Amino acid sequence: MAGKLGVYICTGCGIGEAVDGEKLAKVATSECKAASCRTHPALCGAEGCAQIRQDLAGGAVDTVVVAACSPRFKTEAFSLNHGTVVERVNLREHVAWCHAPQDENTQMLAEDYLRMGVARARKTEPLEPLADEISRALLVIGGGVTGITAALEAAAAGYSVFLVEKEENLGGAAARCKRQTPAEPPYTAVNGDGLTARMEAVLYHPRIQVFCSARVVRIEGQPGMFDVTLSIEAGEHQIRAGAIVVATGWKPYDVSRLVHLGYGVSPDVISNLEFERMAAAGRIARPSNGQRAESILFVQCAGSRDPDHLPYCSSICCMETLKQITYIREQDPEAQVYVVYKDVRTPGQYERFYRAVQDQALNFFTKGEVTAVKPGAGGRLTVAVEHTLLGESIQLETDLVVLATGMVPNGSEQILNLTYRQGPELPVISGGFPDSHFVCFPYETRRTGIYAAGAARAPMDAAQARQDAMGAALKAIQCVELAAQGRAVHPRGGDLSYPSFFLQRCTQCKRCTEECPFGALDEDAKGTPKPNPYRCRRCGVCLGACPERIVSFKNYSVDMIASMIKAIEVPEEDEDKPRVLALVCENDAYPAMDLAGLKRRRYDPSVRVVPLRCLGSLNIVWIADALSRGLDGVILVGCKYGDDYQCHFTKGSELAQRRLENVKETLQRLQLESERLQLTQLAINEWEQLPQVFDAFVERIRKLGPNPYKGF
Amino acid sequence: MADALAIQPDVRFLKRVLASGGGDLKKCYQCATCSVACELAPEESPFPRKQMMEAQWGLKAQLLCDPAIWLCHNCGKCTERCPRGARPGDVLGAVRREAIRHFAFPGWMGALVADPKWLPLLFLLPALIFAAVAFWAPKPVPAPPFEFGSVFPASVLEPLFFAISGFALLAFAVGVVRFARGIGETPSAGFGAALKDIAAHQSFKQCDDASMRLAHQLTMWGFAGLAMVGTATGIGTMAGVLRTPLALESPLKIFANLAAAASLAGVTLLLARRVGRPASTYFDWFFLAALSGVVFTGIAAELLRLAEARAMYGVYFVHLVLIFGLLLYAPYSKFAHLAYRTVAMARSRKFNARS
Repeated sequence: MAGKLGVYICTGCGIGEAVDGEKLAKVATSECKAASCRTHPALCGAEGCAQIRQDLAGGAVDTVVVAACSPRFKTEAFSLNHGTVVERVNLREHVAWCHAPQDENTQMLAEDYLRMGVARARKTEPLEPLADEISRALLVIGGGVTGITAALEAAAAGYSVFLVEKEENLGGAAARCKRQTPAEPPYTAVNGDGLTARMEAVLYHPRIQVFCSARVVRIEGQPGMFDVTLSIEAGEHQIRAGAIVVATGWKPYDVSRLVHLGYGVSPDVISNLEFERMAAAGRIARPSNGQRAESILFVQCAGSRDPDHLPYCSSICCMETLKQITYIREQDPEAQVYVVYKDVRTPGQYERFYRAVQDQALNFFTKGEVTAVKPGAGGRLTVAVEHTLLGESIQLETDLVVLATGMVPNGSEQILNLTYRQGPELPVISGGFPDSHFVCFPYETRRTGIYAAGAARAPMDAAQARQDAMGAALKAIQCVELAAQGRAVHPRGGDLSYPSFFLQRCTQCKRCTEECPFGALDEDAKGTPKPNPYRCRRCGVCLGACPERIVSFKNYSVDMIASMIKAIEVPEEDEDKPRVLALVCENDAYPAMDLAGLKRRRYDPSVRVVPLRCLGSLNIVWIADALSRGLDGVILVGCKYGDDYQCHFTKGSELAQRRLENVKETLQRLQLESERLQLTQLAINEWEQLPQVFDAFVERIRKLGPNPYKGF
Repeated sequence: MADALAIQPDVRFLKRVLASGGGDLKKCYQCATCSVACELAPEESPFPRKQMMEAQWGLKAQLLCDPAIWLCHNCGKCTERCPRGARPGDVLGAVRREAIRHFAFPGWMGALVADPKWLPLLFLLPALIFAAVAFWAPKPVPAPPFEFGSVFPASVLEPLFFAISGFALLAFAVGVVRFARGIGETPSAGFGAALKDIAAHQSFKQCDDASMRLAHQLTMWGFAGLAMVGTATGIGTMAGVLRTPLALESPLKIFANLAAAASLAGVTLLLARRVGRPASTYFDWFFLAALSGVVFTGIAAELLRLAEARAMYGVYFVHLVLIFGLLLYAPYSKFAHLAYRTVAMARSRKFNARS
């Protein structure tokens, strides 16, 4: 594509000492036919940058290749307007800092990287951003603590908000509680509701439109243009929103499954929610006979942190129990209260509340495991507890047993009713929480523009939910703002590229529509993909999935990567210089390589790195290209996958592994060893292992011997 | 479930422990820092972590019959190290107080001594007795001047004190038997080893804060000496072999004065320690005040007598009242630790293994 290519080689930061800049320049001009090639001892300085701009302005150059440091550095200095193609060649972290200086192999590596960079630049087209009319209004689903906070915060930031609540009134679960757990210093006493004022603020806010007794019937479209059909009392109502915050809260764990803890054995065994309702309604008493409960026992972690029930900690039950004990104390100072816990989890300032409640004379706490709750003498309950801190199994007689049950998210059942090809609700991970890499990107779901917050996202209390709501509201605001600029949201925030589909050649195999991690692609009746570019996160999984290779970005395509692979010089078999292609994930593995460079860790210079947006964008034709070109092996380095995946696009490396399995069969037919292919999962904090991974792989390739297809 | 222990907190007991020095008890969250900090806690059954839990739950029966509560020297290191300020050392003190009260014979005496509101009554009784002695007891004729016997005749005092001591010994015996029964079938072959330890204050050495050792040893031996001299003099006087006051150069008097000096040094050190301690209770002070009062008034009375000052009778009167209190209330005050602690040590595995 590029007509007038300008190559700028930086010799600073040790590059000039490690490689021969003159020879590199020669590769650029004579081999790559660059219109102009300049070397500079500090290209990122004002002088170097001015030179590039001057060449561009003068028309001597229209496509720029900067051979200097990693593209992860000096992005400001080398960023030009998006109409100009700029490619970066990493001569510093990937060459000069991790290979022997003034070495033939190092020089060959640098020259290859230059050729690859030029190939990439030549295949890159200037970007044309999306430019549709974008709605900046936000839809908040759920009018509890989270939804109210998200609505108020977004409205305060100047955005219009639609708030949808299925119940008649706002307030959610918190409004049905007698009191709230402490949320302010000194954290030793329960709070009043603190919700009423904010509920009123929502109702009277000029930028917030509240729909109570309402449900979402249908959501169509994409970020910036979600068409939402609501069912309200008056019938159906249509609104348009740019982004959505899901604040649908939680429901209690099904207490009827806790028969082993006595639920159903007696009416005097109740859940913490039932206890809360009883306290909120008035007097605490034994449900069986309405009499005073002289002794009340709380079973913590009832159905939580238990592989047969909820595997996780809901983080609120300890505080809820402490709060409920204060209700008992208020009513009956002489009642005996027992708490049997696995651990009391009252982190941070909440510990003060635990101490305050624990300090009361007739509250008895022990770690232990409740093994049976049975009717006892005189209509009381006998509770057996094992492994207690008292050093033995004990039996307690009590009048009322309260099971402190955990939270189950309300996020994935008939809430959103998306008209997406991949289903109507948010995909969830184990435990039922919506997620797309919760470690690094809270609030993100696998549906772009739809952000989960509060207990629908992860178990949390009201105080945390308020913070969560702010975070999610901000993400939603970012989403509409970026959409308005035609830019991608997280994790390729700001990316102006988007995939285009050459549909004439589509065979309706549906791989792209199935594999897209974010449900960006819908289908027509025949199965032809219908892209929704604003839903797209630009990972390129569709590009990797397509057997017809009809998916491409202006700056990332099957052809481009193939051209980079073809640009690698393959030495003759007798030179004993194997060549290994490394396709590495841009998100973790590439920065890990930069780190290895920064720490001057050496590894085999036979490796040629091509960064991929995600290993999920791996198109197997690249492997065929590499091996038929005579490269001796291909290693893929991507994020960890599985339950605690680290892939920024949820399952890219897993998809790559699956595609690799298919290629291995083909290799066997071609009588090539499948050991020539390898996928390594690497987290960024494991960067130290990277040199060893490369060295070991090259060693294996050397043992296998040269690729027999070399020279064909 | 068959061997599960039915638990029923004793709320009254719990409230008493909370009210008498164990007020921070509920703060314990069972980290066991206390048991690690304690140099005396045996490896196989460390304290006071478990005792803290039992106290929190008001498990009176378990606690009061637990020899471990008596193995503590109250050095305060656990209290100092406790991350939550639950003051385990003070809690053990409060539990010991409850034990003394629980095993007391007769029980009402235990309640009387433990409660500050009865304090005036406790000392009014001996004051009346000795006032009566001074006024109405038959005096020797002629009454030599500047002799205690002229106002408080030995012929009345000696039988009186033997009777009090006898009663105290009986009360001790009953209490100890009750306690030993409570402990159960543990062998008490460690008796010899325990006494040896007490004599030399071996266990005190294990504590990081060994400052208690000298004070306690001086006091203990000093009082033991005084008790011996007192008993010997009493028997001698009644048998007519001795006559008080003894001459200053008589061996018995020299021994008595040495013992008094040791006691004085001991109680002074103990007082100095106690004054700085924020968590000292009525129960602590009752014993220490009686103890030091006896020493101070005893020495003062002797000095006044030698100086031939008439004030000697008044001071001696106070001295007699305090001795009366110290002896009669010994089984119900902190003094009782000498019996319970010895039994607990003898019954503990450590001393059993040594014998």
